[in-house]
Amino acid sequence: MESVNEIKEALSARSRTATLDELASEGRKRVRLIRAEHVAAMISEAVHAAIEHSGLIAPEEVEKLVEKSRIEFRTILKEREQELQRAHDNEKALEMREGELAELRQRFSALSDALSATRRELEEVRAEAEAAESQLHSLRDRAAPMVAAAAPGPSSDLLLSLVQEMATLKANLMHAQAAPAPTPAAPAAPDFSAALEKLTGSLTDRLEKLGQKMGVSAAVGGDQPVDFGNLFKDEGKQLESNMDNIEVKQKAGGGIAANLARLKKLKGGG
Amino acid sequence: MTQQNKFDPKQDQGADTAIALGKGLDVGTANLAAAVQNEDGGITVTVERNAFLDIPSDVYSKNMLTKLKVPYVVHNGKLVVIGEAAFELANVFGRETRRPMMDGLISPNEQDALPMMKMIIQKILGEPRVQGENCYFCVPAPSLDVDNNVVYHQGLFESLVNKLGYKAHAINEAHAVIFAELAESDFTGIGLSFGGGMANACIAYKSIPCLSFSVARGGDWIDKNVANVLGCPRSKATHIKERGIDIRDPKSREEEAVSIYYRSLINYVLQNIKQRFESGQNMPSFQHPVDIACAGGTSLVGGFIEVFRDEFAKIDFPIPVGRVFRSEEALTAVAKGCLVAAAIGEG
Repeated sequence: MESVNEIKEALSARSRTATLDELASEGRKRVRLIRAEHVAAMISEAVHAAIEHSGLIAPEEVEKLVEKSRIEFRTILKEREQELQRAHDNEKALEMREGELAELRQRFSALSDALSATRRELEEVRAEAEAAESQLHSLRDRAAPMVAAAAPGPSSDLLLSLVQEMATLKANLMHAQAAPAPTPAAPAAPDFSAALEKLTGSLTDRLEKLGQKMGVSAAVGGDQPVDFGNLFKDEGKQLESNMDNIEVKQKAGGGIAANLARLKKLKGGG
Repeated sequence: MTQQNKFDPKQDQGADTAIALGKGLDVGTANLAAAVQNEDGGITVTVERNAFLDIPSDVYSKNMLTKLKVPYVVHNGKLVVIGEAAFELANVFGRETRRPMMDGLISPNEQDALPMMKMIIQKILGEPRVQGENCYFCVPAPSLDVDNNVVYHQGLFESLVNKLGYKAHAINEAHAVIFAELAESDFTGIGLSFGGGMANACIAYKSIPCLSFSVARGGDWIDKNVANVLGCPRSKATHIKERGIDIRDPKSREEEAVSIYYRSLINYVLQNIKQRFESGQNMPSFQHPVDIACAGGTSLVGGFIEVFRDEFAKIDFPIPVGRVFRSEEALTAVAKGCLVAAAIGEG
């Protein structure tokens, strides 16, 4: 078989391909065809005949020689194929290593950049911290005499309010502790969450009242209908204008009776 | 393509000949329009441009404005010229008009213009025929492309209209287009309102709005970009746009710029509508193709509906569509739709 393949390759290498049209243009109307197998058989026969006629090798030795040559050829072919496979494997492994190396280089570069950026930020933060510290020292030095001279503390109203809040909270806690447990499984510990909720509610109410005074509450809470009437500030006073003497342009348009009739029909009223 | 509307309003005139109470008000970024039924069975629409221009106040200017019948208000020591005249004066002097509204909503920069806006609305709306007469005014839908909120805008105009003696009701702008233009389809289809500040879309089934939204681009967006590329004031760009050009056949560099931005706007609106419809949330399914009605002042330009159809053909629209047409009364269609809602609400 190897000889046939080799002959096919040789024929292919030493021949040209031509289309039927090209052959026709060269004036060839008929061509003769021969298969590669037949060429191989003819060559084999010719070689055998030449060896036999030479008298150098006995006819029985010819077959042995051919068989030996075939075995040697197959062995060499197998070795070459194995070498080729090893070369392919090595090439693949090399490509993988190169990819890993490139990735590692990229990561190294990114980490180096990040490290540099972090170092710069650290330096900036240090500088800012030092500046802030020196500013703080300066402020403390300047404020110390004033604080010592006039520190009245929180306003009495605020203190009173906070004390009342604390008293309410304490009373609630004591009430919760003293109240009988509704079920045996209920915890006897004070209900801190309820007290906190109440405190939160109280603070929310205060904020709401403050917001209403400042005019921001209505914008936050969307549930209440909003009166935009105040936006038209000139409602009361008449602006000087000649609008009453101006006639506005009017256009006539098609009627809407048909539209209304259709609409009423749709709604089941007509 | 002309509008293939087989619907003949005259056929149904006999069904409802009485003049219904109620008025419609289109609160637009560029124009304010009020619609009312008249004795002839038709409607009368009063339109005024939603713009101001302040000039130094002196006796000569005041007398001149009065002689020329130019509407003005004296506010904070300045003469404030109102409406279309302000727009014309701004063009003459190469200045920008002040605009009380921006991107379809009340402008945060022009809060002190509210008294003038109230006067203009009072003028075009007139006195209510009965105390508490229904007045439906349009509001835009929330936008897909910007974070806006219509609550303040709606509340403000509700309050204003109520103060004028009406009972104010808000209606979505594109829903009003459906009321005005899709009676033949039993008020089923898509209404599009191309306004000055926004483009609004609504899809309705038998008059019930299923989905409504807007994109914050409109005629002002075109003006802004045209002014930028031409290096002129926006009011000049508006003038170029409104002087009767055909965007399919621009005749100059200015018209070319307008044409380019018009096509871009239409494409942008259609892409947004397509994406919203494709998202499938709250989308009704229609057995038959639905009509698309376009309206709004920005759709008045020559060649608008043809370019709209061109751009529409380029996209794979997710629902079957029948007719695509522009309202014959594009500028006043929203006010008309508001009037239909007011009249039916009154009854």
